[in-house]
Amino acid sequence: MSNDTKSPLLSWLDERYQVSPLIEFLRHKEVPIGAHSMAWYFLGGATLFFFMVQIVTGVLLLMYYQPGEATSWESLRYIMTKVPFGWLVRSFHCWSAHLMIICLVAHMFSTMLLKAYRPPRELTWVTGYVLFAVALGFGFSGYLLPWNELSYFATVVGTDSVKSVPVVGNWLLEVMRGGPDVTINTLYRFFALHVIILPLACFALVGIHLLFIQRQGMAAPVGECHAPRGMKFFPSFAVRDLLLWLACLFLLVALSTVAPYGPNIPGMEWELGSKANPLAPAYPGIKPEWYFLWIYQLLKEFPPHLLGLEGPQLCLLLVSVLMGAWAAVPWMDRQARRNQPSPGFSDFGFAAILFISYLTLKAWDIGAVGNDVDAPASVASVARTCAWWELGLGGAIIAIRYTVYEHRWFLFSGAALLHAGLHGLAGIGYLAAGLVAMLPVVAGVVMIYRAQSRGEETAGA
Amino acid sequence: MGWLASVLYPVGRYLTPLPETGPTGPVNLTRGEIGKLEQDGFVIVPVVGKRVLVLEDSEGDIRALSARCTHEGCTVQYVADDSLIWCACHNAKFDLEGGVISGPPPKPLPRFYGERRDDGSVVINVVEQA
Repeated sequence: MSNDTKSPLLSWLDERYQVSPLIEFLRHKEVPIGAHSMAWYFLGGATLFFFMVQIVTGVLLLMYYQPGEATSWESLRYIMTKVPFGWLVRSFHCWSAHLMIICLVAHMFSTMLLKAYRPPRELTWVTGYVLFAVALGFGFSGYLLPWNELSYFATVVGTDSVKSVPVVGNWLLEVMRGGPDVTINTLYRFFALHVIILPLACFALVGIHLLFIQRQGMAAPVGECHAPRGMKFFPSFAVRDLLLWLACLFLLVALSTVAPYGPNIPGMEWELGSKANPLAPAYPGIKPEWYFLWIYQLLKEFPPHLLGLEGPQLCLLLVSVLMGAWAAVPWMDRQARRNQPSPGFSDFGFAAILFISYLTLKAWDIGAVGNDVDAPASVASVARTCAWWELGLGGAIIAIRYTVYEHRWFLFSGAALLHAGLHGLAGIGYLAAGLVAMLPVVAGVVMIYRAQSRGEETAGA
Repeated sequence: MGWLASVLYPVGRYLTPLPETGPTGPVNLTRGEIGKLEQDGFVIVPVVGKRVLVLEDSEGDIRALSARCTHEGCTVQYVADDSLIWCACHNAKFDLEGGVISGPPPKPLPRFYGERRDDGSVVINVVEQA
Protein backbone atom coordinates (compact mmCIF):
# COMPACT_ATOMS: atom_id res chain seq x y z
CA MET A 1 0.00 0.00 0.00
CA SER A 2 1.48 3.32 -0.98
CA ASN A 3 1.60 6.16 1.50
CA ASP A 4 -0.62 8.26 -0.81
CA THR A 5 -3.64 5.99 -0.47
CA LYS A 6 -3.37 5.53 3.29
CA SER A 7 -5.71 7.28 5.68
CA PRO A 8 -4.05 9.74 8.09
CA LEU A 9 -4.78 7.42 11.02
CA LEU A 10 -3.25 4.43 9.24
CA SER A 11 -0.19 6.48 8.29
CA TRP A 12 0.16 7.61 11.89
CA LEU A 13 -0.07 4.01 13.13
CA ASP A 14 2.24 2.72 10.41
CA GLU A 15 4.94 5.26 11.27
CA ARG A 16 4.97 4.02 14.83
CA TYR A 17 4.11 0.31 14.63
CA GLN A 18 4.78 -0.70 10.99
CA VAL A 19 1.33 -2.21 10.48
CA SER A 20 1.54 -2.23 6.67
CA PRO A 21 2.86 -5.81 6.35
CA LEU A 22 -0.02 -7.03 8.54
CA ILE A 23 -2.57 -5.18 6.41
CA GLU A 24 -0.98 -6.56 3.24
CA PHE A 25 -1.17 -10.06 4.71
CA LEU A 26 -4.85 -9.68 5.55
CA ARG A 27 -5.56 -8.12 2.16
CA HIS A 28 -4.23 -11.19 0.37
CA LYS A 29 -5.53 -13.79 2.80
CA GLU A 30 -8.03 -16.21 1.23
CA VAL A 31 -10.31 -18.94 2.49
CA PRO A 32 -10.24 -22.02 0.24
CA ILE A 33 -13.44 -23.02 -1.54
CA GLY A 34 -13.33 -26.65 -2.51
CA ALA A 35 -15.11 -29.95 -2.45
CA HIS A 36 -16.90 -29.42 0.87
CA SER A 37 -19.31 -26.85 2.22
CA MET A 38 -17.90 -23.60 3.59
CA ALA A 39 -20.27 -23.85 6.55
CA TRP A 40 -17.66 -25.85 8.46
CA TYR A 41 -15.26 -22.90 8.42
CA PHE A 42 -17.60 -20.78 10.55
CA LEU A 43 -17.90 -23.11 13.57
CA GLY A 44 -14.65 -21.92 15.16
CA GLY A 45 -15.81 -18.30 14.89
CA ALA A 46 -19.17 -19.14 16.46
CA THR A 47 -17.34 -20.86 19.33
CA LEU A 48 -15.21 -17.76 19.83
CA PHE A 49 -18.33 -15.57 19.88
CA PHE A 50 -19.95 -17.65 22.65
CA PHE A 51 -16.67 -17.60 24.58
CA MET A 52 -16.65 -13.80 24.47
CA VAL A 53 -20.26 -13.79 25.75
CA GLN A 54 -19.04 -16.04 28.58
CA ILE A 55 -16.37 -13.52 29.55
CA VAL A 56 -18.74 -10.54 29.50
CA THR A 57 -21.59 -12.26 31.41
CA GLY A 58 -19.10 -13.90 33.77
CA VAL A 59 -17.68 -10.50 34.72
CA LEU A 60 -21.22 -9.19 35.28
CA LEU A 61 -22.06 -12.14 37.54
CA LEU A 62 -18.87 -11.51 39.51
CA MET A 63 -20.21 -8.08 40.51
CA TYR A 64 -22.66 -9.82 42.87
CA TYR A 65 -21.53 -13.43 43.32
CA GLN A 66 -19.82 -14.15 46.65
CA PRO A 67 -18.16 -17.54 47.10
CA GLY A 68 -18.73 -18.97 50.58
CA GLU A 69 -20.71 -21.52 52.56
CA ALA A 70 -23.32 -18.95 53.58
CA THR A 71 -23.11 -16.76 50.49
CA SER A 72 -22.67 -18.75 47.25
CA TRP A 73 -26.22 -20.03 46.90
CA GLU A 74 -27.68 -16.92 48.58
CA SER A 75 -25.85 -14.46 46.32
CA LEU A 76 -26.97 -16.35 43.24
CA ARG A 77 -30.57 -16.33 44.48
CA TYR A 78 -30.16 -12.58 45.02
CA ILE A 79 -28.90 -12.17 41.45
CA MET A 80 -31.84 -14.10 40.09
CA THR A 81 -34.60 -12.61 42.19
CA LYS A 82 -33.55 -9.08 43.18
CA VAL A 83 -30.91 -7.71 40.79
CA PRO A 84 -32.57 -6.10 37.73
CA PHE A 85 -32.07 -8.45 34.76
CA GLY A 86 -29.90 -10.69 36.93
CA TRP A 87 -31.88 -13.72 35.76
CA LEU A 88 -31.15 -12.72 32.16
CA VAL A 89 -27.41 -12.34 32.74
CA ARG A 90 -27.25 -15.78 34.35
CA SER A 91 -29.41 -17.26 31.61
CA PHE A 92 -27.09 -15.74 28.98
CA HIS A 93 -24.08 -17.17 30.82
CA CYS A 94 -25.56 -20.68 31.03
CA TRP A 95 -27.01 -20.80 27.52
CA SER A 96 -23.85 -19.44 25.92
CA ALA A 97 -21.80 -22.03 27.84
CA HIS A 98 -23.87 -24.85 26.36
CA LEU A 99 -23.94 -23.33 22.88
CA MET A 100 -20.17 -22.85 23.06
CA ILE A 101 -19.67 -26.53 23.84
CA ILE A 102 -22.10 -27.54 21.04
CA CYS A 103 -20.16 -25.39 18.53
CA LEU A 104 -16.87 -26.69 19.88
CA VAL A 105 -17.94 -30.33 19.50
CA ALA A 106 -19.23 -29.66 15.96
CA HIS A 107 -16.01 -27.79 15.14
CA MET A 108 -13.86 -30.64 16.43
CA PHE A 109 -15.79 -33.33 14.53
CA SER A 110 -15.81 -31.26 11.32
CA THR A 111 -12.02 -30.86 11.62
CA MET A 112 -11.74 -34.60 12.17
CA LEU A 113 -13.99 -35.59 9.25
CA LEU A 114 -12.49 -33.06 6.80
CA LYS A 115 -8.94 -34.11 7.82
CA ALA A 116 -7.99 -30.51 8.52
CA TYR A 117 -5.50 -31.87 11.07
CA ARG A 118 -3.10 -33.17 8.42
CA PRO A 119 0.36 -31.62 8.10
CA PRO A 120 1.32 -28.90 8.66
CA ARG A 121 -1.65 -28.34 11.01
CA GLU A 122 -1.02 -31.00 13.68
CA LEU A 123 -0.36 -28.43 16.39
CA THR A 124 -3.53 -26.53 15.47
CA TRP A 125 -5.40 -29.78 16.19
CA VAL A 126 -3.52 -30.25 19.48
CA THR A 127 -4.22 -26.68 20.67
CA GLY A 128 -7.87 -27.15 19.69
CA TYR A 129 -7.94 -30.42 21.61
CA VAL A 130 -6.49 -28.77 24.73
CA LEU A 131 -8.97 -25.90 24.32
CA PHE A 132 -11.77 -28.46 24.28
CA ALA A 133 -10.42 -29.93 27.54
CA VAL A 134 -10.24 -26.41 29.03
CA ALA A 135 -13.85 -25.76 27.95
CA LEU A 136 -14.93 -28.94 29.73
CA GLY A 137 -12.96 -27.73 32.76
CA PHE A 138 -14.88 -24.46 32.62
CA GLY A 139 -18.16 -26.37 32.60
CA PHE A 140 -17.14 -28.68 35.42
CA SER A 141 -15.76 -25.97 37.71
CA GLY A 142 -18.65 -23.59 37.03
CA TYR A 143 -21.22 -26.27 37.79
CA LEU A 144 -20.34 -26.26 41.52
CA LEU A 145 -20.46 -22.48 42.00
CA PRO A 146 -24.25 -22.22 42.67
CA TRP A 147 -23.62 -24.60 45.61
CA ASN A 148 -26.95 -26.38 45.18
CA GLU A 149 -27.77 -30.06 45.71
CA LEU A 150 -27.42 -31.06 42.07
CA SER A 151 -24.07 -29.33 41.61
CA TYR A 152 -22.78 -30.74 44.89
CA PHE A 153 -23.43 -34.40 44.08
CA ALA A 154 -22.41 -34.03 40.43
CA THR A 155 -19.07 -32.69 41.70
CA VAL A 156 -18.78 -35.51 44.25
CA VAL A 157 -19.17 -38.09 41.47
CA GLY A 158 -17.08 -36.18 38.94
CA THR A 159 -14.10 -35.59 41.22
CA ASP A 160 -14.19 -39.07 42.75
CA SER A 161 -13.14 -40.57 39.41
CA VAL A 162 -9.75 -38.87 39.85
CA LYS A 163 -8.80 -41.33 42.62
CA SER A 164 -8.54 -44.02 39.93
CA VAL A 165 -5.40 -42.35 38.53
CA PRO A 166 -2.48 -44.68 39.39
CA VAL A 167 -0.06 -43.70 42.19
CA VAL A 168 -1.06 -40.02 42.62
CA GLY A 169 -4.86 -40.49 42.39
CA ASN A 170 -5.69 -39.92 46.06
CA TRP A 171 -3.29 -36.97 46.38
CA LEU A 172 -4.75 -35.42 43.22
CA LEU A 173 -8.26 -35.91 44.58
CA GLU A 174 -7.40 -34.10 47.82
CA VAL A 175 -5.67 -31.26 45.98
CA MET A 176 -8.68 -30.88 43.73
CA ARG A 177 -11.19 -30.94 46.58
CA GLY A 178 -9.12 -29.14 49.17
CA GLY A 179 -9.71 -32.10 51.50
CA PRO A 180 -10.95 -35.69 51.42
CA ASP A 181 -14.54 -34.66 50.68
CA VAL A 182 -16.33 -32.02 48.62
CA THR A 183 -16.69 -29.05 50.97
CA ILE A 184 -16.70 -25.30 50.67
CA ASN A 185 -12.91 -25.58 50.25
CA THR A 186 -13.62 -27.36 46.96
CA LEU A 187 -15.79 -24.44 45.89
CA TYR A 188 -12.97 -21.96 46.66
CA ARG A 189 -10.57 -23.96 44.50
CA PHE A 190 -13.08 -24.36 41.68
CA PHE A 191 -13.86 -20.64 41.87
CA ALA A 192 -10.17 -19.77 41.42
CA LEU A 193 -9.98 -22.25 38.56
CA HIS A 194 -13.14 -20.92 36.89
CA VAL A 195 -12.46 -17.20 37.06
CA ILE A 196 -8.64 -16.95 36.98
CA ILE A 197 -6.68 -20.02 35.96
CA LEU A 198 -8.82 -21.37 33.12
CA PRO A 199 -9.53 -17.96 31.53
CA LEU A 200 -5.80 -17.16 31.47
CA ALA A 201 -5.05 -20.58 29.95
CA CYS A 202 -7.89 -20.11 27.49
CA PHE A 203 -6.71 -16.67 26.34
CA ALA A 204 -3.21 -18.02 25.74
CA LEU A 205 -4.43 -21.11 23.89
CA VAL A 206 -6.97 -19.22 21.77
CA GLY A 207 -4.20 -16.78 20.85
CA ILE A 208 -1.87 -19.60 19.78
CA HIS A 209 -4.69 -21.43 17.96
CA LEU A 210 -5.66 -18.29 15.99
CA LEU A 211 -2.04 -17.47 15.28
CA PHE A 212 -1.53 -20.92 13.74
CA ILE A 213 -4.69 -20.53 11.64
CA GLN A 214 -3.66 -17.07 10.44
CA ARG A 215 -0.14 -18.22 9.60
CA GLN A 216 -1.18 -21.43 7.79
CA GLY A 217 -4.64 -20.45 6.53
CA MET A 218 -7.63 -22.75 6.58
CA ALA A 219 -7.11 -26.30 5.34
CA ALA A 220 -7.98 -27.04 1.73
CA PRO A 221 -9.99 -30.22 1.03
CA VAL A 222 -8.03 -33.48 0.93
CA GLY A 223 -6.22 -34.04 -2.36
CA GLU A 224 -5.95 -30.34 -3.15
CA CYS A 225 -2.67 -28.75 -2.09
CA HIS A 226 -3.99 -25.39 -3.20
CA ALA A 227 -7.72 -24.87 -3.51
CA PRO A 228 -8.80 -24.00 -7.05
CA ARG A 229 -10.86 -21.07 -5.80
CA GLY A 230 -10.64 -18.82 -2.80
CA MET A 231 -12.72 -16.27 -0.97
CA LYS A 232 -11.13 -13.07 0.27
CA PHE A 233 -10.92 -13.16 4.06
CA PHE A 234 -11.45 -9.39 4.13
CA PRO A 235 -14.15 -8.38 3.59
CA SER A 236 -16.08 -11.39 2.18
CA PHE A 237 -15.43 -14.01 4.85
CA ALA A 238 -15.21 -11.56 7.78
CA VAL A 239 -18.61 -10.05 6.92
CA ARG A 240 -20.18 -13.50 6.75
CA ASP A 241 -18.58 -14.32 10.11
CA LEU A 242 -20.04 -11.14 11.62
CA LEU A 243 -23.49 -11.97 10.23
CA LEU A 244 -23.26 -15.40 11.82
CA TRP A 245 -22.30 -13.79 15.14
CA LEU A 246 -25.39 -11.62 14.85
CA ALA A 247 -27.52 -14.73 14.22
CA CYS A 248 -25.87 -16.38 17.27
CA LEU A 249 -26.76 -13.34 19.35
CA PHE A 250 -30.40 -13.50 18.23
CA LEU A 251 -30.50 -17.20 19.05
CA LEU A 252 -28.98 -16.53 22.47
CA VAL A 253 -31.48 -13.77 23.26
CA ALA A 254 -34.39 -15.95 22.15
CA LEU A 255 -33.30 -18.99 24.16
CA SER A 256 -32.40 -16.98 27.27
CA THR A 257 -35.76 -15.24 27.41
CA VAL A 258 -37.97 -18.18 26.39
CA ALA A 259 -36.24 -20.78 28.59
CA PRO A 260 -34.21 -18.88 31.23
CA TYR A 261 -33.60 -22.05 33.29
CA GLY A 262 -32.71 -24.32 30.37
CA PRO A 263 -34.66 -26.67 28.14
CA ASN A 264 -35.37 -29.04 31.06
CA ILE A 265 -33.29 -31.83 29.58
CA PRO A 266 -31.16 -33.78 32.10
CA GLY A 267 -27.68 -32.28 32.01
CA MET A 268 -28.96 -29.04 30.47
CA GLU A 269 -30.95 -27.32 33.24
CA TRP A 270 -29.89 -24.69 35.72
CA GLU A 271 -32.73 -24.09 38.17
CA LEU A 272 -31.16 -22.92 41.41
CA GLY A 273 -32.97 -25.61 43.45
CA SER A 274 -32.12 -26.32 47.09
CA LYS A 275 -28.89 -25.31 48.77
CA ALA A 276 -26.23 -28.02 48.98
CA ASN A 277 -26.23 -30.03 52.17
CA PRO A 278 -23.24 -32.38 52.38
CA LEU A 279 -25.03 -34.35 55.10
CA ALA A 280 -28.15 -35.06 53.04
CA PRO A 281 -28.32 -38.32 51.08
CA ALA A 282 -28.06 -38.21 47.30
CA TYR A 283 -31.35 -38.40 45.45
CA PRO A 284 -32.22 -40.26 42.22
CA GLY A 285 -31.73 -38.54 38.90
CA ILE A 286 -28.48 -36.72 39.68
CA LYS A 287 -26.72 -36.37 36.39
CA PRO A 288 -23.76 -34.29 35.18
CA GLU A 289 -23.84 -31.83 32.27
CA TRP A 290 -24.92 -33.40 28.96
CA TYR A 291 -21.36 -33.52 27.59
CA PHE A 292 -20.24 -35.73 30.50
CA LEU A 293 -23.28 -38.02 30.32
CA TRP A 294 -21.55 -40.65 28.17
CA ILE A 295 -18.82 -41.08 30.80
CA TYR A 296 -21.46 -41.17 33.56
CA GLN A 297 -23.30 -43.95 31.70
CA LEU A 298 -20.10 -45.83 30.89
CA LEU A 299 -19.30 -45.86 34.64
CA LYS A 300 -22.66 -47.57 35.19
CA GLU A 301 -21.93 -50.23 32.57
CA PHE A 302 -18.76 -51.47 34.26
CA PRO A 303 -19.04 -54.25 36.88
CA PRO A 304 -17.40 -53.75 40.30
CA HIS A 305 -14.31 -55.73 39.27
CA LEU A 306 -12.90 -56.73 35.90
CA LEU A 307 -9.48 -57.96 34.77
CA GLY A 308 -8.08 -57.51 38.26
CA LEU A 309 -9.03 -53.83 38.40
CA GLU A 310 -11.91 -51.96 39.97
CA GLY A 311 -14.69 -51.06 37.53
CA PRO A 312 -14.23 -47.25 37.77
CA GLN A 313 -10.45 -47.64 37.31
CA LEU A 314 -10.92 -49.70 34.16
CA CYS A 315 -13.52 -47.26 32.89
CA LEU A 316 -11.17 -44.31 33.40
CA LEU A 317 -8.41 -46.26 31.65
CA LEU A 318 -10.66 -46.90 28.65
CA VAL A 319 -11.72 -43.25 28.46
CA SER A 320 -8.06 -42.14 28.71
CA VAL A 321 -7.03 -44.51 25.90
CA LEU A 322 -9.87 -43.25 23.68
CA MET A 323 -9.06 -39.60 24.40
CA GLY A 324 -5.35 -40.24 23.83
CA ALA A 325 -6.11 -41.91 20.49
CA TRP A 326 -8.27 -38.93 19.53
CA ALA A 327 -5.42 -36.49 20.29
CA ALA A 328 -2.95 -38.60 18.27
CA VAL A 329 -5.13 -38.88 15.14
CA PRO A 330 -2.96 -36.47 13.05
CA TRP A 331 0.01 -38.80 13.53
CA MET A 332 -1.92 -42.07 13.18
CA ASP A 333 -3.68 -41.12 9.94
CA ARG A 334 -0.81 -41.85 7.53
CA GLN A 335 -2.91 -41.56 4.39
CA ALA A 336 -4.08 -38.07 5.30
CA ARG A 337 -0.44 -37.16 5.99
CA ARG A 338 0.19 -37.98 2.32
CA ASN A 339 -2.82 -35.80 1.39
CA GLN A 340 -4.80 -38.86 0.33
CA PRO A 341 -8.37 -39.74 1.40
CA SER A 342 -8.43 -41.86 4.56
CA PRO A 343 -11.93 -43.38 4.72
CA GLY A 344 -11.04 -45.50 7.76
CA PHE A 345 -10.43 -42.42 9.90
CA SER A 346 -13.58 -40.73 8.61
CA ASP A 347 -15.49 -43.82 9.68
CA PHE A 348 -13.70 -43.78 13.03
CA GLY A 349 -15.05 -40.23 13.55
CA PHE A 350 -18.61 -41.31 12.72
CA ALA A 351 -18.25 -44.35 15.00
CA ALA A 352 -17.17 -42.04 17.85
CA ILE A 353 -20.37 -40.01 17.32
CA LEU A 354 -22.47 -43.20 17.44
CA PHE A 355 -20.62 -44.60 20.49
CA ILE A 356 -21.12 -41.37 22.46
CA SER A 357 -24.72 -40.87 21.32
CA TYR A 358 -25.84 -44.37 22.40
CA LEU A 359 -24.42 -43.87 25.89
CA THR A 360 -25.94 -40.37 26.10
CA LEU A 361 -29.36 -41.63 25.02
CA LYS A 362 -29.16 -44.34 27.69
CA ALA A 363 -28.17 -41.79 30.32
CA TRP A 364 -31.33 -39.84 29.47
CA ASP A 365 -33.35 -43.00 30.33
CA ILE A 366 -35.24 -42.85 27.04
CA GLY A 367 -37.83 -45.63 27.08
CA ALA A 368 -37.86 -46.13 30.86
CA VAL A 369 -40.96 -47.82 32.27
CA GLY A 370 -42.43 -46.87 35.65
CA ASN A 371 -40.91 -44.57 38.21
CA ASP A 372 -37.95 -46.79 39.08
CA VAL A 373 -35.61 -46.25 36.11
CA ASP A 374 -33.09 -48.65 37.64
CA ALA A 375 -35.47 -51.63 37.85
CA PRO A 376 -34.26 -54.50 35.57
CA ALA A 377 -37.34 -54.26 33.29
CA SER A 378 -36.82 -50.53 32.89
CA VAL A 379 -33.08 -50.89 32.23
CA ALA A 380 -33.81 -53.47 29.49
CA SER A 381 -36.48 -51.22 27.99
CA VAL A 382 -34.10 -48.22 27.96
CA ALA A 383 -31.36 -50.29 26.26
CA ARG A 384 -33.87 -51.56 23.66
CA THR A 385 -35.46 -48.16 22.91
CA CYS A 386 -32.08 -46.43 22.68
CA ALA A 387 -30.80 -49.21 20.40
CA TRP A 388 -33.68 -48.54 17.98
CA TRP A 389 -32.91 -44.81 18.08
CA GLU A 390 -29.25 -45.56 17.54
CA LEU A 391 -29.91 -47.90 14.62
CA GLY A 392 -32.19 -45.28 13.04
CA LEU A 393 -29.61 -42.52 13.50
CA GLY A 394 -26.70 -44.67 12.38
CA GLY A 395 -28.66 -46.05 9.41
CA ALA A 396 -29.53 -42.53 8.26
CA ILE A 397 -25.88 -41.39 8.58
CA ILE A 398 -24.64 -44.42 6.63
CA ALA A 399 -27.30 -43.94 3.92
CA ILE A 400 -26.32 -40.27 3.47
CA ARG A 401 -22.63 -41.10 3.46
CA TYR A 402 -23.18 -43.90 0.91
CA THR A 403 -25.41 -42.01 -1.51
CA VAL A 404 -24.32 -38.36 -1.17
CA TYR A 405 -20.63 -38.64 -0.28
CA GLU A 406 -20.02 -42.07 -1.89
CA HIS A 407 -18.32 -43.45 1.22
CA ARG A 408 -17.65 -47.20 1.14
CA TRP A 409 -15.88 -47.72 4.49
CA PHE A 410 -18.29 -48.59 7.34
CA LEU A 411 -16.33 -50.99 9.54
CA PHE A 412 -16.16 -48.85 12.70
CA SER A 413 -19.64 -47.33 12.46
CA GLY A 414 -21.05 -50.78 11.60
CA ALA A 415 -19.40 -52.12 14.76
CA ALA A 416 -20.92 -49.30 16.83
CA LEU A 417 -24.37 -50.20 15.49
CA LEU A 418 -23.76 -53.93 16.02
CA HIS A 419 -22.76 -53.12 19.60
CA ALA A 420 -26.01 -51.21 20.22
CA GLY A 421 -28.05 -53.94 18.54
CA LEU A 422 -26.44 -56.80 20.48
CA HIS A 423 -26.83 -54.98 23.77
CA GLY A 424 -30.25 -53.40 23.31
CA LEU A 425 -32.06 -55.93 21.14
CA ALA A 426 -30.33 -59.24 21.91
CA GLY A 427 -29.96 -58.44 25.61
CA ILE A 428 -26.20 -59.11 25.83
CA GLY A 429 -24.30 -57.15 28.51
CA TYR A 430 -22.87 -53.81 27.34
CA LEU A 431 -19.20 -54.76 27.64
CA ALA A 432 -19.67 -58.29 26.24
CA ALA A 433 -21.58 -56.85 23.27
CA GLY A 434 -18.76 -54.35 22.74
CA LEU A 435 -16.21 -57.15 22.72
CA VAL A 436 -18.22 -59.17 20.16
CA ALA A 437 -18.67 -56.07 17.96
CA MET A 438 -14.91 -55.41 18.05
CA LEU A 439 -14.06 -58.84 16.57
CA PRO A 440 -15.07 -58.02 12.94
CA VAL A 441 -13.29 -54.66 13.29
CA VAL A 442 -10.02 -56.31 14.31
CA ALA A 443 -10.36 -58.92 11.54
CA GLY A 444 -11.26 -56.24 8.97
CA VAL A 445 -8.39 -53.93 9.93
CA VAL A 446 -5.87 -56.83 9.79
CA MET A 447 -7.15 -57.85 6.33
CA ILE A 448 -6.99 -54.29 4.99
CA TYR A 449 -3.51 -53.77 6.46
CA ARG A 450 -2.27 -56.99 4.82
CA ALA A 451 -3.85 -56.09 1.49
CA GLN A 452 -2.20 -52.66 1.63
CA SER A 453 1.19 -54.18 2.52
CA ARG A 454 0.91 -56.63 -0.41
CA GLY A 455 -0.05 -53.75 -2.71
CA GLU A 456 2.98 -51.72 -1.59
CA GLU A 457 5.30 -54.74 -2.08
CA THR A 458 3.92 -55.34 -5.58
CA ALA A 459 4.33 -51.68 -6.44
CA GLY A 460 7.89 -51.77 -5.06
CA ALA A 461 8.76 -54.86 -7.13
CA MET B 1 15.84 -29.61 37.12
CA GLY B 2 16.71 -28.56 40.65
CA TRP B 3 15.26 -25.13 39.98
CA LEU B 4 12.01 -26.71 38.74
CA ALA B 5 11.81 -28.94 41.83
CA SER B 6 12.41 -25.95 44.12
CA VAL B 7 9.42 -24.22 42.53
CA LEU B 8 7.06 -27.19 42.22
CA TYR B 9 7.64 -28.68 45.67
CA PRO B 10 6.43 -25.65 47.69
CA VAL B 11 3.48 -25.20 45.30
CA GLY B 12 2.56 -28.88 45.69
CA ARG B 13 2.83 -28.67 49.47
CA TYR B 14 0.81 -25.45 49.52
CA LEU B 15 -2.00 -27.08 47.55
CA THR B 16 -2.04 -30.29 49.61
CA PRO B 17 -4.74 -29.82 52.27
CA LEU B 18 -3.81 -30.27 55.91
CA PRO B 19 -5.19 -33.41 57.62
CA GLU B 20 -8.61 -33.06 59.26
CA THR B 21 -8.48 -32.52 63.01
CA GLY B 22 -11.08 -33.31 65.63
CA PRO B 23 -11.85 -35.79 68.39
CA THR B 24 -10.52 -39.21 67.48
CA GLY B 25 -12.24 -41.08 70.28
CA PRO B 26 -15.94 -41.91 70.67
CA VAL B 27 -18.34 -39.09 69.68
CA ASN B 28 -21.80 -38.48 71.10
CA LEU B 29 -24.60 -37.53 68.73
CA THR B 30 -26.21 -34.18 69.50
CA ARG B 31 -29.82 -33.90 70.65
CA GLY B 32 -30.83 -32.71 67.15
CA GLU B 33 -29.07 -35.62 65.49
CA ILE B 34 -30.74 -38.11 67.79
CA GLY B 35 -34.11 -36.51 67.03
CA LYS B 36 -33.46 -36.91 63.30
CA LEU B 37 -32.35 -40.52 63.85
CA GLU B 38 -35.58 -41.31 65.64
CA GLN B 39 -37.71 -39.50 63.10
CA ASP B 40 -36.14 -40.79 59.84
CA GLY B 41 -34.53 -44.01 61.08
CA PHE B 42 -31.11 -42.69 60.09
CA VAL B 43 -28.91 -39.61 60.28
CA ILE B 44 -25.69 -38.62 58.54
CA VAL B 45 -23.13 -36.94 60.78
CA PRO B 46 -19.66 -35.51 60.17
CA VAL B 47 -16.88 -37.09 62.23
CA VAL B 48 -13.23 -36.15 61.68
CA GLY B 49 -13.91 -35.22 58.08
CA LYS B 50 -15.88 -38.39 57.39
CA ARG B 51 -19.57 -38.68 56.55
CA VAL B 52 -21.01 -41.34 58.86
CA LEU B 53 -24.39 -43.01 58.41
CA VAL B 54 -25.95 -43.83 61.78
CA LEU B 55 -29.08 -45.96 61.56
CA GLU B 56 -31.43 -47.81 63.84
CA ASP B 57 -32.32 -51.22 62.38
CA SER B 58 -35.63 -53.07 62.75
CA GLU B 59 -34.45 -54.64 66.03
CA GLY B 60 -33.54 -51.28 67.50
CA ASP B 61 -29.79 -51.75 67.24
CA ILE B 62 -27.61 -48.79 66.29
CA ARG B 63 -25.29 -49.27 63.34
CA ALA B 64 -22.67 -46.84 62.04
CA LEU B 65 -21.14 -47.11 58.58
CA SER B 66 -19.37 -44.82 56.15
CA ALA B 67 -21.99 -42.77 54.32
CA ARG B 68 -19.69 -42.46 51.35
CA CYS B 69 -20.53 -44.91 48.56
CA THR B 70 -17.43 -46.87 47.54
CA HIS B 71 -18.29 -46.43 43.88
CA GLU B 72 -18.16 -42.69 43.21
CA GLY B 73 -18.48 -41.17 46.67
CA CYS B 74 -22.18 -40.16 46.74
CA THR B 75 -23.92 -40.02 50.11
CA VAL B 76 -25.91 -43.20 50.80
CA GLN B 77 -29.18 -43.51 52.75
CA TYR B 78 -30.96 -46.14 54.81
CA VAL B 79 -34.13 -47.63 53.32
CA ALA B 80 -35.94 -49.03 56.36
CA ASP B 81 -38.72 -50.78 54.38
CA ASP B 82 -36.20 -52.94 52.48
CA SER B 83 -33.72 -53.05 55.34
CA LEU B 84 -30.83 -51.98 53.12
CA ILE B 85 -28.54 -49.06 52.39
CA TRP B 86 -29.02 -47.42 49.01
CA CYS B 87 -26.98 -45.02 46.88
CA ALA B 88 -29.18 -43.11 44.48
CA CYS B 89 -26.39 -42.00 42.14
CA HIS B 90 -25.81 -45.37 40.43
CA ASN B 91 -28.47 -47.51 42.20
CA ALA B 92 -26.04 -49.36 44.45
CA LYS B 93 -27.44 -51.47 47.30
CA PHE B 94 -25.63 -52.56 50.45
CA ASP B 95 -26.75 -54.76 53.34
CA LEU B 96 -26.69 -53.45 56.90
CA GLU B 97 -23.22 -54.91 57.42
CA GLY B 98 -22.00 -52.75 54.52
CA GLY B 99 -21.68 -55.65 52.06
CA VAL B 100 -22.51 -55.00 48.39
CA ILE B 101 -25.86 -56.52 47.35
CA SER B 102 -26.02 -55.11 43.83
CA GLY B 103 -24.72 -52.30 41.65
CA PRO B 104 -21.24 -51.17 40.65
CA PRO B 105 -19.46 -50.49 44.01
CA PRO B 106 -16.17 -52.40 44.15
CA LYS B 107 -15.91 -52.52 47.96
CA PRO B 108 -18.20 -52.81 50.99
CA LEU B 109 -18.96 -49.75 53.12
CA PRO B 110 -16.54 -49.48 56.06
CA ARG B 111 -18.25 -50.19 59.39
CA PHE B 112 -17.75 -48.19 62.58
CA TYR B 113 -18.66 -48.68 66.21
CA GLY B 114 -22.11 -47.42 67.22
CA GLU B 115 -24.18 -47.94 70.37
CA ARG B 116 -27.19 -46.52 72.20
CA ARG B 117 -26.45 -46.09 75.89
CA ASP B 118 -28.92 -46.55 78.76
CA ASP B 119 -29.29 -42.78 79.15
CA GLY B 120 -30.57 -42.56 75.54
CA SER B 121 -27.38 -41.04 74.12
CA VAL B 122 -25.89 -42.48 70.96
CA VAL B 123 -22.15 -42.87 70.72
CA ILE B 124 -20.11 -43.68 67.63
CA ASN B 125 -16.43 -44.27 67.02
CA VAL B 126 -14.92 -44.00 63.57
CA VAL B 127 -12.22 -46.56 64.20
CA GLU B 128 -13.06 -49.09 61.47
CA GLN B 129 -14.39 -52.46 62.61
CA ALA B 130 -13.26 -55.66 60.98
